[in-house]
Amino acid sequence: MSEIPLKRIVRKKDVLKVITSMKAFFRTPFQILDIDGAVIFGDSAATGSTKFPIKAWDEDIGWVAGDREAEVLATVLSYMAKTEHEKKALGAETLEKYKEITLLYDIAERLASCLDVGQVSRLIIDEVIKLVKSDSISVMLLDRETGLLKIIAASGEDFSPKTEMKPGEGIAGSVLMTGKAEIVNDVHSDKRFIPGANKVSSLICAPMKIKDDFVGLINLSCQEPYTYDAEDLKLLTALASQSAVAIENARLYEDLRKTFISTVYGLARAIGQRDPFTGKHTKRVMEFSTAIGREMGLPDKEIQSIQLAAILHDIGKIAIPDEILEKKGQLTESELATFKKHPVIGEELVKDIKQLDHIIPGIRHHHECFNGSGYPDGIGGESISILARIIAVADAFDAMTSDRSYRKGLQRVLALDELKKNAGKQFDAEVVKAFLRVFRKKPELFKET
Amino acid sequence: MPKVLIVDDEPHIRLLLEQTLEELEDEGVELLIAENGAEALDIIKKEKPEVVFLDVMMPKKNGFEVCHTVKNELGMGDVYIVLLTAKGQEFDKQKGNDVGSDVYLTKPFNPDEIVEIARKILGI
Repeated sequence: MSEIPLKRIVRKKDVLKVITSMKAFFRTPFQILDIDGAVIFGDSAATGSTKFPIKAWDEDIGWVAGDREAEVLATVLSYMAKTEHEKKALGAETLEKYKEITLLYDIAERLASCLDVGQVSRLIIDEVIKLVKSDSISVMLLDRETGLLKIIAASGEDFSPKTEMKPGEGIAGSVLMTGKAEIVNDVHSDKRFIPGANKVSSLICAPMKIKDDFVGLINLSCQEPYTYDAEDLKLLTALASQSAVAIENARLYEDLRKTFISTVYGLARAIGQRDPFTGKHTKRVMEFSTAIGREMGLPDKEIQSIQLAAILHDIGKIAIPDEILEKKGQLTESELATFKKHPVIGEELVKDIKQLDHIIPGIRHHHECFNGSGYPDGIGGESISILARIIAVADAFDAMTSDRSYRKGLQRVLALDELKKNAGKQFDAEVVKAFLRVFRKKPELFKET
Repeated sequence: MPKVLIVDDEPHIRLLLEQTLEELEDEGVELLIAENGAEALDIIKKEKPEVVFLDVMMPKKNGFEVCHTVKNELGMGDVYIVLLTAKGQEFDKQKGNDVGSDVYLTKPFNPDEIVEIARKILGI
């Protein structure tokens, strides 16, 4: 236990009150000295008299100097010092617990706002490192279809992401069966242990469960022998149950997102049914747009929007008559006017789907020009959403290079020249630059289909 | 000697704050403790602490009232006041501003943050 200097004890309000009232009561002078003999309290008149030790836990922490009355004070101060020490120990322990609670609270908050399984797993690992001593940590998830445990994220050296374990196999598999967290401080004397690439001496394995529903495991281990204790186990178990909920949430969200995306694809395929060309074209525009967005360093969220907007950008063509869409040769003025309605019709089609709100500008404005000469609104520059500016370039390139029933596709270099020529006019020059970089860096995107 | 005052009616929170700030005692900071608003005002007037960690929800004189008195009636604007509020109780930010508090923290507070604030204000 860490010491509290006598000086600090004497300064405490309650203690000081006792001392001063005793001073008023005593007939003889006294002094309180700390362990080094320095005077903390009292009369210089007491110098030279007997010294009575003040003890806390059998250890001298100072003296009261004076005559026999001083001995009483020494006894009282000893008792108070002991109480102060106990209080301090209690305080230290409470603080320790409090810090844990704060940390778990903080982790729970961050986990709750995380909706990606991989991200949740990495967050778990980052937090476990701070909480419990370990050389390597892994998060394993139970694949509900195959019934196998799979490492989804890990810290430390050499982990094989392909490691899979069956329930009942190894220590992890055993924890999966029992559903109870375990400490194994000497793995080599445990028959269940299966040696892997990592050197392991001691480990803890905690299940992530929601009620009795098993989500996965958190493993942590030390290369050198280490004695994990009940406190470590308790912390890891607390963290594991928070993590289970977060992972389950992320999974559900992912499911929901997949359902949503496939619905959107379904919608886009509807145009594909009408016009097979548009079907393939949509897929390529989506790929090009995504690549441009990434090249421009846009955040993941924006990339997702770009993908959706690219898939749906031509959805309005559903309402354009076949004879216009498939016409070989020039459109008449009124046909062209009808054709030009497709971005607005597209917006009409998706505007009531709340989850597609944010991509409407990508649909409505994919035929706007950077210099303001496009349609339907004739806006320009950065008033055109970045979604639309990117889709415009991807769309134009694919339209120029594809074979149509009425003409052969342009050579790619010529199409690129065309984009360059129109950079800053029809297209956003930055987007064109990014596209040229994509063309150089990712030839596989541009293979003939 | 720089002084820090802890004010809370709950003994375990006082103990926690005292323990949290204990490391500062080794650097010559004096920790003062008050169990209610009235006692806090007495100590503030007498000892003029640099920093006060002040619980909001206290019987008799609450943290808002104490803060208001210190900042506006006693004219001790230099006393840095950290209001501590419990999670779940909606902290009335407007009221916090009105009474002139410098910052507020939500319990469960982060001990490191408490020490950090005290250190920053005391310049140690």
